[in-house]
Amino acid sequence: MFGSTEAITVDMVSLALDAASMRHQAIAHNIANVNSPGFAPMRVNFEEQLGALRTALGDGTPVQHAMLAGVHPVLTRSPVADGLDRTAMLDMEVADMAQNTVQYEALLKALGKHMAILASAVNEGKR
Amino acid sequence: MDYRNAFAISASGMTVEKTRLDTIAVNLANIHSTRGADGKAFQPLSVRVTEAQGSFAAGFTQLAGANQLRGARVVQIEPTGAAPRQMYEPGNPDADARGFVSLPGVNQVTEMVNLAGALRAYEANVVAMNAAKTMALKALELGGGQ
Repeated sequence: MFGSTEAITVDMVSLALDAASMRHQAIAHNIANVNSPGFAPMRVNFEEQLGALRTALGDGTPVQHAMLAGVHPVLTRSPVADGLDRTAMLDMEVADMAQNTVQYEALLKALGKHMAILASAVNEGKR
Repeated sequence: MDYRNAFAISASGMTVEKTRLDTIAVNLANIHSTRGADGKAFQPLSVRVTEAQGSFAAGFTQLAGANQLRGARVVQIEPTGAAPRQMYEPGNPDADARGFVSLPGVNQVTEMVNLAGALRAYEANVVAMNAAKTMALKALELGGGQ
């Protein structure tokens, strides 16, 4: 029924949750340093690594587990933007944080629904 | 989610902003002080803030992951060296030979603007901490009946 996709769904959502968790810490770090002179904000590189998966999904080919090899969230430091208003940085970070929180909760909900489908299969469709 | 590190990062930011608020309060409280504790005139203070680095993380950024994020820390609270204001007040015991009293060079407007900035930054740190709490609590709900 689920074919080979069930394991990769859980693995992929776990990776995305790790990325969202790391991104929240990076944003909290940026907010804590909003008054540090010369501070370069931290970013998380994750979605950029999913290109192979995205093209596979676009072509309709089954997603291979090997495509997830080497994919993991990485912290990067963005170059210092000179002349950038500090308060502008603060509100951008807070907006990013709100978006990231919603993303995290959406991922959790998706994982919960996936597990509910599995539970339904285990119960032979009975409640 | 490693929520303890997220809390520690936000807490470090709150500590820094609280220190800035305290320093501004000291400056404003001493706006009319003609004599400091050591007999010399009071100097307006400013806080130097920098990014906190994890001691382990240096050179192991790939391995340490999010644990290299430590928030901010106060380097030093140092006098700004602003020139004192002179006020003519011959009756004051701290007046010099010409009758002028030296008051600290505290700029009330600058202090109030810094106060508002520190307050907003503190609030942003509280928001970040609450977001981490919401995320951690949501993660606890996973698997608990849909």
